[in-house]
Order: sequence, then structure tokens, then C-alpha cells
Amino acid sequence: MQLSNYKPDDNISELLKTDLDKGFRLVVEKYSSRLYWHIRRIVILHEDADDALQNTFINAWRGMKSFRSESSLYTWLYTIATNEALSLINKRKRNAAISYDELESFFVNSQEGSTWFDGDEAQVKLQNAILQLPDKQRIVFNLKYFDEMTYEDMSKVLKTSEGALKASYHHAVKKIEKIISEG
Amino acid sequence: MMQKLKEIPDKNPFKVPEDYFEDVNRKIITATSGYNQETKEIRLYKRVRPYLLIAASITGFLILSYTAIQLLSPKNTDPIVSEVLLDEYNDFYLNDIDILTLEESAASLDLYEELPEINTTDIVEYLLLDNIDINEIYEQL
Repeated sequence: MQLSNYKPDDNISELLKTDLDKGFRLVVEKYSSRLYWHIRRIVILHEDADDALQNTFINAWRGMKSFRSESSLYTWLYTIATNEALSLINKRKRNAAISYDELESFFVNSQEGSTWFDGDEAQVKLQNAILQLPDKQRIVFNLKYFDEMTYEDMSKVLKTSEGALKASYHHAVKKIEKIISEG
Repeated sequence: MMQKLKEIPDKNPFKVPEDYFEDVNRKIITATSGYNQETKEIRLYKRVRPYLLIAASITGFLILSYTAIQLLSPKNTDPIVSEVLLDEYNDFYLNDIDILTLEESAASLDLYEELPEINTTDIVEYLLLDNIDINEIYEQL
């Protein structure tokens, strides 16, 4: 899924200064879906994505007053969401609750009719290939391919140089295409 | 042949429960509204807590000090003074009151009726503890 490009909305920034509750409500309505899918693509499971999304906005609420423009709010929300998702998968790895093999089977089983995944063979291959990438490279790929985020914004989210991000994305694409072809 | 990413259809394969986003938005707004009020209460408590701790410490110290002083100070002479006062009272009042008046006053108090009944067995057992001969006890009873 590829979301539309982000466009700043100055109204939300103004509203956050004058009426924080109403402004925050607008922030939630505007960004919850986008952030959910970003998190979901990282953690895969809906329940985990749901937890991480709610934690993201609760943490965001604490710092909501300190933002001046919505462009920084946008990247800041993505930063929190990314950290929440990474924190969750690291915790999962430590607890060995769910292995990557189990996540791969999650996609494979979709062809048998899964509740939370409904993809054809090509989608299953793609998702499995993305899962093979290291966590941070996977996030870079997702943000560029699905969210169409600029490298400038991505640099703010991931605290990495634009050059490194471009290289990472390029290698990710090559790796995924190779895995899909080897099928 | 290498399959390109562009060849894969653009479709979101992940699914969510029906009305999920409406529900989660509502949960988030509710959770953050409550959080705002709670933090106000927590912040007030945090500001006041140091002073409460100081007050509690001082109070505890005063209580302990008073208790220690009471325990360590010499016993007061109140009983002696009380005995003196009682003797004076007896001399002062009883000299002016004859014994009949006292008996009438005592009778009106129904003192004997207020005394608990004592079981005979208990009396015997009590006197035996003082090594009194049991035959003498029963003679008196």
C-alpha cells in the first residue's frame, strides 16, 4: 500500500497552541491510520501494532505543547512510532515469544484464509522477503516504498544521514528482488 | 529472470478488525484525557510530598522525645501528695459526719448489688493457694 504524500496543515499547529485538546484530537484523527500501518509493517501482528500505536499517542500527548510546526510533529510522531515498534520486536526477540519462522508462516497461512492477512502469492513472497532484511533496513524500505517519505524527513525520523538512507534503500530493493526471484 | 518490485501489485495485504480506527481513536482520546487530570494530581502531590515528609518526621521526633522523657524521668510524687490530700480529706470531712450518715450514703449506692458474684469454688481455690488448711476454709464458709 502506498499512502499519499504528506502535506502540512498549518491549522493543526495553530489549534495546538490555542486549544490543545481539540488540536490533539485532530492529530489523532489525521495520523492514527498512517502510523498504524507503519507500525504494523514492522511488527506484523495486529495486537502488537495496536499496543504500540496507543503507546505512541500517549507518549506524543506528553510532548504535544512543545511543537511549533506540523512538519516537525509529523517526523516526531514517526520517530515515536518507530521506537515503539522496535522496542516491541526487541522485547519479542528477548522473550523468544515469536520467532521469525512463525512470522513467515503467518504470511504463508494467509493463502488458507487468515484473519489478519489477505494477500496473494506475490504479496506473501514480498512480505517474506522484507522480513529477511535487518530491522533498520526494513524500516527504511517501508518508509520509502509504502509511505513515500522523503529522505530528508526519513533522516529526521531515523537520525541517519540521507546518503546512508539512500544506499540502504537501494540495497534493500536489490535484496528483495533477488529473494522474490529465487522464490 | 529477476522479478522487479514494480511488477508486484500495489495492495495492502494486512487486515484490521471492522471499525478499528474509530475505536482506537476513541480509546486514545479517552486515555489521554484522563492522563491529563491524573498528572495534575500527581504533580501537586509531588510538590507537597517533601513538606509532608518533613512534618511527619518532626511529629515523630516529638512523640518519641516525649515518650522517652516520660519513661526516663523520676516518678512523680503525686501518689504521696494524693495520700496526704486523702488524709486531710478524711480528717476534714469525716470528723463532721457520723458513721450512721456514712452507712446510709453507702447503702443508697447499692454497692453490694454491683459487686460481681464470686463462685465458692473460686474462693476455695484462691485460699488453697495461700496454703490455708481446707478444713478451716470450709468452717468459715
